[in-house]
Amino acid sequence: MIPLEHYLYISAALFSLGVFGVLTRRNAVNVLMSIELIFNSANINLVAFSRFVEGALGGQVFALLVIVIAACEAAVALAIVMSLYRVVKHVNLDDAAELKG
Amino acid sequence: MSDAVQSLSRFLPELILMGALAVVIVADLFTQRRPLKSSTDLLNGIALVGLLGALVTSWQALGAGEAQPLFASMLADDGLLGVFRPIFCLTSIVVLLLGMRSKELEGVRLGEMLALLLTVTAALMWMAGSVNLVMIYLSLETVSVASYLMVGYLSSDRLSNEASLKYILFGAVSTGAMLFGLSLLYGMTGTLDLYGVRAALAEGAFGPGLLFVLILIAAGIGFKIAAAPFHFWCPDVYTGAPTPVTAFLSVGPKAAGFAVLIRFFYLGMAEPAGGGAIAPVGGADWQMLLMMLAVITMTLGNVAALLQTNVKRLLAYSSIAHAGTMLMAACVLSVDGVQAIAAYLAIYLFMNLGAFAVVILAHRVTGSFEIDSYAGFWKRSPLLTVAMGIFLFSLMGIPPFAGFLAKWYVFAAVINAGLGWLAVIGVLNAAVAAFYYVKVLRVMVIDQETGPTPALAFSRLDLALLVVLVVPNVLGLLFWGSLDRVTEVSQTLLELG
Amino acid sequence: MESMASAAIFYGVAALVLGSALYVVVGRNLVHSAFALVAAFFGVAVFYVYLGADFLAGAQVLIYVGGILTLLLFGVMLTNRIYNLNLRSGAIQVVPGALSAGLVFALLVWIIQSVDWGAMDAGDPGPTSESIGRLLVGDYLLPFEIASVLLLIALMGAAMLVRRRGSRS
Repeated sequence: MIPLEHYLYISAALFSLGVFGVLTRRNAVNVLMSIELIFNSANINLVAFSRFVEGALGGQVFALLVIVIAACEAAVALAIVMSLYRVVKHVNLDDAAELKG
Repeated sequence: MSDAVQSLSRFLPELILMGALAVVIVADLFTQRRPLKSSTDLLNGIALVGLLGALVTSWQALGAGEAQPLFASMLADDGLLGVFRPIFCLTSIVVLLLGMRSKELEGVRLGEMLALLLTVTAALMWMAGSVNLVMIYLSLETVSVASYLMVGYLSSDRLSNEASLKYILFGAVSTGAMLFGLSLLYGMTGTLDLYGVRAALAEGAFGPGLLFVLILIAAGIGFKIAAAPFHFWCPDVYTGAPTPVTAFLSVGPKAAGFAVLIRFFYLGMAEPAGGGAIAPVGGADWQMLLMMLAVITMTLGNVAALLQTNVKRLLAYSSIAHAGTMLMAACVLSVDGVQAIAAYLAIYLFMNLGAFAVVILAHRVTGSFEIDSYAGFWKRSPLLTVAMGIFLFSLMGIPPFAGFLAKWYVFAAVINAGLGWLAVIGVLNAAVAAFYYVKVLRVMVIDQETGPTPALAFSRLDLALLVVLVVPNVLGLLFWGSLDRVTEVSQTLLELG
Repeated sequence: MESMASAAIFYGVAALVLGSALYVVVGRNLVHSAFALVAAFFGVAVFYVYLGADFLAGAQVLIYVGGILTLLLFGVMLTNRIYNLNLRSGAIQVVPGALSAGLVFALLVWIIQSVDWGAMDAGDPGPTSESIGRLLVGDYLLPFEIASVLLLIALMGAAMLVRRRGSRS
């Protein structure tokens, strides 16, 4: 049987990797991927605690709702990326001055 | 099941908003072919009726009936929610009217915007009522997702898109950190219920570990109220968003963030200590955490505002500074602090939305958000200048304007709690704030415009809007008694034991 | 012997998850990163199976791998030139980033070790879909309904953004 702590170590590592990605990546889609890692790490915690600490399904329901929210956020974020891409493409992509200001 | 049915009777404002949402979406579909003006008027009318209905029902519900849990203890229908509901409705109504006069939203189909506004108003109420970790997170995310979409509404506009992208990335990181914190808190306490969390924390000391968890959770709440150091999104998003949306973000989500802050810390992280005071549980000194946040937020907001040349950026930093002032009241650890925050928000609503109303009306003629473009406004429109003066003096907190009352509540609560040093920092900050507010007025009154200076004309709606926003600011002191009575209701937080 | 094998698989999957997560955050190629993310999501679903959360494991595969990842890949491929689209603020150098992430990890490890989680194994809960279904229309009715409102506006908003709208310039 895998002890609770091992799940927590894995989720902590996943969370830290997500934080690293958020801090260092400059591409919007890549930051989005790192954020998904953070959501997944929290979900591992929730499900593990649901089994080992609460002994009921509250954490699993929470994790399920988190998956739904993550899907919504990803859809909206990618719609924004597409929309921005369309605008920027027409302006002039290499002209990053406005983007940086 | 019967619990859910019973809860519905205490859920009327939210139900009305959801009903209006459904009608707006359907009406939007059926008016796609109609001319823009008539369909926009129809949709605005439906949304306005819905919001007014929610305002009336939430006003009637205020202070009526015992505090009680709703929907299997997901929400608490108590005084705090009661006071915040009308604040959210009023904010959305003013924002809707501002949207009708905004040059940026002219010629744009508003169906989705109104649907988002109705959703986010209901979601703010869910936030303010949440007493369950699932509800706190879910309602906060609903508000966030709707806000991202409102910020990026002008999807052919580069600034609007950039602001929206920045907002969603920063928001997702903050709420992700908060979610991780919530999951650890769930592990420490074995429950998702805020009252259960408190009971579990009261039994054991978690100390520094709990403090780290609270910092993670504060990231999510701090993001919503735009508190430093979680404010980086704020100036860029405020600048890039359509101005009515900026006005909404500066009041609505901030108010709901404070409601969540009070519920989470005052109910979940503390237990009643008699006489309206509370005592932290679990061995984490979160009062110190909030005090640090308050000092950093106030100081950073005010100092950065001094350097701004764009009025939307200036108001962004000013709204950060106001969040810092309200955070001071959250450090009080008694129900006085709760009332101070409620009173502050009720007044802040009128002064801040007023300032944004002037910005939107000025943009109609100048087409600019630079402070320099306000030169010579005193000659072009004394009315607008006087209105702006009232809003800015109110934001400064100068008597006899209502803003003074707001500051008075906060400082009285802070000093009564024996946090004199915090009050001193607050007063110093208020002095700094006067500089940048006066700077705007100086440009409007003293600076001369170089080009032609046609007088400004306003529609009846503009005038009505300005009057509605000016009156509470001017006559605030007269209504002190009623404000006190109403906001006192916010002190009854639901106690389940 | 069987538990040995099961433990070996678990740690193997853990290594896979962390390895692919590392590739997601350091890889140079966006499409490769997206596929590494698939592996990480699958691994997390395996953890759910180990924890007895069968329904959640299914949802993880369906929604994350089937939905979110497809979206991400579409996003990457339709906006191939977005490689050049950099964010103004937030991004910092690799070394400070690694240091902060390391600090966060160290803090979390310390918390995991110092807190008494009161862990008890409630045992394999058996099939969970029925109980989760009952919870969603019982105690968690309101969150369930709010999630549906959230999905509605997210869909509506995403569709709206991809259509053309007004510009200020």
